[in-house]
Amino acid sequence: MTYIELKVAPRREERLGTCIEFGGTVGEVHRQFCGGCLKNRSRSFSQGTICQLLPATAILTSLQDSVVIVHGAVGCGGAVHSQGASVRLGQFNSGDKNPKGALWLSTNLSESDVVSGGEEKLKRAIIEADKRYRPSAIIVLSTCVPGIIGDDIDGAADALKEQVAATILPIHCEGFKTKIMATAYDAIFHSFLRNMVDGNDETEFAVYNNEAAVTAEKIRRSRLVNLLNVSSMTGPDQKELTRLLNKLGLEVNMLPCDAHPDAFRLAPFAALSIGVCPTHDDYFMSYLHEKFGVPFVGGQMPIGIENTSLWLRQIAAKLGLEDAAERIIQSETEELHRALQPLLPNLKSKTAMLSAGEIRTLATAVLLQELGMEILAVRPYHYDEFGGTEISKLEKVNPKIRINVATAQPFEAVNLIYRTKPDIYIGHNSDNIWAAKCGVSILPIYGTNSIYSGYAGAYDVARRIERHLKNPVFNEHLAKNVRQPYKESWYAEDPFKYIKGVE
Amino acid sequence: MPDNRFIERPRSFCSLGGALLTATALPEVVPILHTAMGCGGSIYWNQYGSTGYLGAGYCGGLAVPSSNIQEKDIIFGGLERLEEQVRTTIELIDGKLFIILTGCTADIIGDDVQSVVRQYRNEGINIFGAETGGFHGSGYKGHDTVLTVLASEFIGQKKTKKKNKINLLGIVPGQDAFWRGNLLKIRTLLEKLGLEVNSFFTQHDTLDSIQNAGDAELTVTVSDFYARKTAEALQDVHHIPYVTNPFPIGPTATEAFLKKVAEALELAPETVNKVIVSEKEQYFHYIERVADAYNDLDWQRYAVVVGDANYAPAITKFLADDFGWLPELMVVTDDIDEEDKTKINAVIESLTSHYPAAVAYESDPTEIKTHFWQVIPRRTDSLYQKTFSPGFVVGSHLEREFAADIGAGHLTVSYPVGNRIVLNRGYAGYDGSLSLIEDLLSVIAAQR
Repeated sequence: MTYIELKVAPRREERLGTCIEFGGTVGEVHRQFCGGCLKNRSRSFSQGTICQLLPATAILTSLQDSVVIVHGAVGCGGAVHSQGASVRLGQFNSGDKNPKGALWLSTNLSESDVVSGGEEKLKRAIIEADKRYRPSAIIVLSTCVPGIIGDDIDGAADALKEQVAATILPIHCEGFKTKIMATAYDAIFHSFLRNMVDGNDETEFAVYNNEAAVTAEKIRRSRLVNLLNVSSMTGPDQKELTRLLNKLGLEVNMLPCDAHPDAFRLAPFAALSIGVCPTHDDYFMSYLHEKFGVPFVGGQMPIGIENTSLWLRQIAAKLGLEDAAERIIQSETEELHRALQPLLPNLKSKTAMLSAGEIRTLATAVLLQELGMEILAVRPYHYDEFGGTEISKLEKVNPKIRINVATAQPFEAVNLIYRTKPDIYIGHNSDNIWAAKCGVSILPIYGTNSIYSGYAGAYDVARRIERHLKNPVFNEHLAKNVRQPYKESWYAEDPFKYIKGVE
Repeated sequence: MPDNRFIERPRSFCSLGGALLTATALPEVVPILHTAMGCGGSIYWNQYGSTGYLGAGYCGGLAVPSSNIQEKDIIFGGLERLEEQVRTTIELIDGKLFIILTGCTADIIGDDVQSVVRQYRNEGINIFGAETGGFHGSGYKGHDTVLTVLASEFIGQKKTKKKNKINLLGIVPGQDAFWRGNLLKIRTLLEKLGLEVNSFFTQHDTLDSIQNAGDAELTVTVSDFYARKTAEALQDVHHIPYVTNPFPIGPTATEAFLKKVAEALELAPETVNKVIVSEKEQYFHYIERVADAYNDLDWQRYAVVVGDANYAPAITKFLADDFGWLPELMVVTDDIDEEDKTKINAVIESLTSHYPAAVAYESDPTEIKTHFWQVIPRRTDSLYQKTFSPGFVVGSHLEREFAADIGAGHLTVSYPVGNRIVLNRGYAGYDGSLSLIEDLLSVIAAQR
């Protein structure tokens, strides 16, 4: 990967041909993507949505011993007021009984900064943050304003390198630069790879005078795996996947969420990198492989029963642990299927629509199919080459499942819901309300306190869907008493009417 | 928040955020963002965690129409995209008034939004535009900008004024998590004086009543600081004079407020006195039966109060003058100039209890702690020490950790409000102060 020489990670539009505008069936999307038909589309009506900055602050404020500086106007970063609740919970779960929550600063760029530039203000913030909090890392997030007025955040970071004790990580996540908010994942890893992951074996894990200790460390590293937990894994998910990997005899170096920056320094010495979502992890894992020879597995999200087994098998195959994996899979799935039996009759043929990041949406839909439910539509935030694996699984059951590629855009969702009338909508925080106002039951597709991954996740998702379907009256009342903002005529229109570039 | 340095965990939306929350709080109004794609989402996540889990509403949150301008629009100008977005919004969305709110990107590249507004207004569309890019300032400013546009361009000119009709300003949706309850309580109170009230954001306000607010006799702003430009626009354009008053919480402050309004409107003294007597009776009807516990369980507390320029003095005054608590320190978190500081200082200097509350102006949570430690004695090993115990911190959720550290009670009232759910609760007036008492004492009672 030559990208790493660049100051800024490439946009996913260019790197992966990712798109965010499509309406059709799962059968069509696969073919049209491969044919290049999804490029250069846009919407003539669009709704406010998520840019790179939102996942960036969510991930980075969770890092231990770090300070995030949002270089922008005072509103950029405001999302942390709610994202901080997850950070706080993470800190509480790691033993802090009076957790401090997310620590972030805004450079509060003003009218005069727009005219005269914000670099000096940023430098003062970095110096003060270093003095005030003594963090291990200072993370600088660039936003639209510095992106337009041309502040050089990399230059500012370089200039302060000697003066500041913390490692400075400049990250480019200007909202106007890309339509694909998942570019944020690359932007974050890009900076950590350029500034922190140097492969120097001088951490506490490596410097020993004691031969026996060195040998012990070597043995440890032969069973040490990087587990990438970028925004796909809740605390309970992390526990579940760690539990399964421990069963295989592996030790987990978890990063980036909730991690100490040292976890990045250790990463090049692991025996394997394990992804949980290709959308999130490919950039980091491919680089670790290229530069430091760390092999990786990353095509499979461990959401869904068969998907979890597949995930374990892929890991085991890289480490020669196939037999152990098969034994684990057999005992785990037997127990799971026994537990699921009483739930399945209540889920049978219930209908669902899903919306979230590309792989999460599709993998969760695959899980629902395993539970005997019928998928009416999937609404991934974007679509690219990584989606094909899960799409094929969905297509095998029903090629007519509708797919609507959209980063939220609830006007399309609401139209689809009126047409298809699902029993449950499974989407993200902020997207769900529009389905709720249609009277549909909701299961959040990601929630800090809940489990989704692994075998335990499969059971719990089933249990929670069953729970929601038991009493849907809250949203039924809501639908009867509040109105959607769309004109009545919208529901008779093609839900994808405003997608331009459809042939 | 001084302009020349960073802010730790800012206690305000940006200008666009304040503008968007104001627009979505107005009846039958549909905002159209002319911003980068993430502004809508960023503000929505912000309001969730800072405004008592305030939801999207009719056409806010991720349903808000937005031009989502990209790099090519930044380079070549975003008006073509905006024009298209306005056209499709009018086609698709059911709204009676559209207001274009610009973000940083559009403001920096200088898109002439008014040209799009003119184009659609010529077609008979009820549409306005406001320059609200985040770098212009705080959410309070964005709020003022949107209302100023309505006051200047939407509210109709009226030749004659209507006796006892007023416009109510000074409560900022979103920046004040309790805006709905507060507005309704003040409105109801003023109606008891026999006034007709245009309060913009309650369920009793309509687009028509707002448009017809030009015949008000007076603008009453329940803030010495917020919505000032709006009050001035109502004065300049519609010749409606205004009075400002500190945000009133509790019987002492509310009585003064009612008298001030009555005086400005030249109401008969009997009218206002009758309301004051009746409201006070209601207040003590409830107070009488919490007074047992207040006294038996020794529920007097030392306090520090952290809040915006509305809440900090209002709560401090209520605690000192009505509730018999001991506000040792008041921290005002807004970035306000020296002249405005004298208004806040005046509230504290004129406390009827004469309680010597210290005053600080600071937004930064780390610096606020420094102020705390200047008034809160450090614990020592001595048996005989003057401590901040029993203590209470009334502030935002950012003070929660500090309160826990010093073993004080804590209640979140001011932005950000991320650890409470707020529906129709309000703290303004007589009635609101009863809710405040419930909430303060429930924190203490929950430990029993």
